[in-house]
Amino acid sequence: MLRKIFKTNFVNVLRNVSSAVDGSIIQATSLVDLTENKQNALTEVEHSIQKVPRTDLSEISKVLRPGAVSSMYVNKSDVLQQLVKLGVNLYQIEKDPEAMKFILTLKFEDIKDTIIYLKELGLETEQIGYAITKNPLLLQENLEDLKVRVNYLQYKKFTPEMITRIVENNPFWLTYSTQDIDNKLGFFQHHFSLTGKEVRLLTTKCPRLITYPIKSVKLNTFVVKEEMGFSSEEIKQILLDRPQIFKTSQHKLLKTFEYLHNEMKIPLETIAEMPQILNCRVKRLKERHQFLVKLGSDQYDCKKPNYVSLLALISNNDTHFSTEVAKSSVQLYNEFLKTL
Amino acid sequence: MPNPDSIMLWKALKGIICVYKPAEISVKNLRKTLITKLCNDLSELDVKLRYPMPESITNNSDSTSLARQATEISLTTNQSITKSLDLRYHPLVIGPRYRDEDLFVSWSNYLGWNTSGVLLFGLRRGTQVAKFIRENRSTRAYRINGVFGKATDNGFQTGKVVEKSTWKYIKHVHIQRILSSMQASHQKKMYEACGVDLNSQLAYDLAVKGPIRPVDSKIPIIYGLKCIDYEGPSFTIEVQCINENEIYLTNLIQEIGLKLHSTAHTRTIKCIRHSCFTLEHALLQKHWNLHNITENMDKCNRLLVENEEIVNQSSPVLRKGRLAPVP
Repeated sequence: MLRKIFKTNFVNVLRNVSSAVDGSIIQATSLVDLTENKQNALTEVEHSIQKVPRTDLSEISKVLRPGAVSSMYVNKSDVLQQLVKLGVNLYQIEKDPEAMKFILTLKFEDIKDTIIYLKELGLETEQIGYAITKNPLLLQENLEDLKVRVNYLQYKKFTPEMITRIVENNPFWLTYSTQDIDNKLGFFQHHFSLTGKEVRLLTTKCPRLITYPIKSVKLNTFVVKEEMGFSSEEIKQILLDRPQIFKTSQHKLLKTFEYLHNEMKIPLETIAEMPQILNCRVKRLKERHQFLVKLGSDQYDCKKPNYVSLLALISNNDTHFSTEVAKSSVQLYNEFLKTL
Repeated sequence: MPNPDSIMLWKALKGIICVYKPAEISVKNLRKTLITKLCNDLSELDVKLRYPMPESITNNSDSTSLARQATEISLTTNQSITKSLDLRYHPLVIGPRYRDEDLFVSWSNYLGWNTSGVLLFGLRRGTQVAKFIRENRSTRAYRINGVFGKATDNGFQTGKVVEKSTWKYIKHVHIQRILSSMQASHQKKMYEACGVDLNSQLAYDLAVKGPIRPVDSKIPIIYGLKCIDYEGPSFTIEVQCINENEIYLTNLIQEIGLKLHSTAHTRTIKCIRHSCFTLEHALLQKHWNLHNITENMDKCNRLLVENEEIVNQSSPVLRKGRLAPVP
């Protein structure tokens, strides 16, 4: 619209000028032609601007974030699409640049057999996705190697259900060589003097503990044995009941233990019987214990009346605890929490 | 593209929220927990609305002989489902939509490691409001529990005991007497800092306008001190103050102990009020979720509208004490 007005004005001015100056009409018309030419050029430029493909700004900004590379390649790469269908979290994998680099160079035909083999081991599709998300380098392993490693477990009298549980719970298990696994199992058997059956029980109960750094396990054993003062039999009992305890950080473990033993006056034997309470957070333990103290019902000795079970103390949500265990109400408990 | 609902909530998440800080956790840590919780909730909502769960794909993976077949089938069936979708924005590919670094959160009062109580957080645009509240230096009330008889190296219960003393002769009256004299000396100090003679008309005019406060944010001033509970060696005092910090409050308890010819250490410090926000408004950590936080924000914003002077002081002359050298 503006351009039109401008053009007509321009032409009018030109005409005025031309009328003023005699014999210059021809010149003026040529000028008009010129303006028209300009107009054409302008529209041409406009067209060319429209032809330039519009880039989505959101795409550019996302290059800087994790998840960008997989997002860029997912529509082009067959492997990535197949992995997404398996439920693999590419965003998680991309946090490790090496793993992403490896995944991008793959072809689906290379990894197909591994995935089918995992399926044959009894893993569900989501579990395969989870395993690959956690340990993408599992796809790097040779299929024969995997078979040898599973064979080793079968040779050690692990049942197929046990093997399924081990592989689905610890995606890193299959990347360790048979020699490593043998050493690790041997360490646990020797260190805690377990029988073959107990080793199998421990392995199926907490497969991640076996591949956990041996140094940390030794440190936690020291904490449990020397600093807390449990006997060897009690340690074995704790290990077989709650293997996770040997995976937690020593500071957390000691804090919980100190509160249990020094503040709540719970003897070592009771703790060894119910090792779950060692896994509880100090904060939770403190809040609930202090609430019971306030109500005057902190009776943890099972031989006396009004006994409160330690397992009931730490389990379930606050609503259940305040109504069933403390025989009070949630509102009161919440108000109590605000006085701490 | 994300569903409008999560966007709407995200846009609504700007303002002040009031949370309850438990003792033995840092404010920094609490902020991180809050951000993670909110971002996870928002992303989950986004995914739920954008990619509703597909019909359960039946795969006969029970028998190992059928496993190979089943994988192929599930792969092909999945393919037909996902073919129409643009996988670039799939949550498994691009990751969560709302990430921790997107949500700006800042606190308006800093509580130390051992302090519990009312804590104000500003979310996104609310960080500016949080800054205003912080710079306006509103009064806070604390309830401090101390114990006579022992002095520790850091002033807290957790420290090493460095001194023991008797405390049985201390009565409630004695504590009250010391506290009121301390309060009076603080008020006097304020007028002296203003450079006004206490017997002059100027001092009266100043006093009529209400409590005066220092311009400098480094000078703690106590406006109210009273003992609300005394039982055995443990005692509880309530402090109304400004510009305080955790160390100042523990020193206050130690000072009280010394003035009563005994020793004392702090057991708990609890902030029960921050300007107009009280424990009633504070949200417990276990209740932190998108719904409760937006509700809390609404409540806090209404409180802020009612008490505008927290953010914006209309009469700066009234409450500012100029810090001039004592004549």
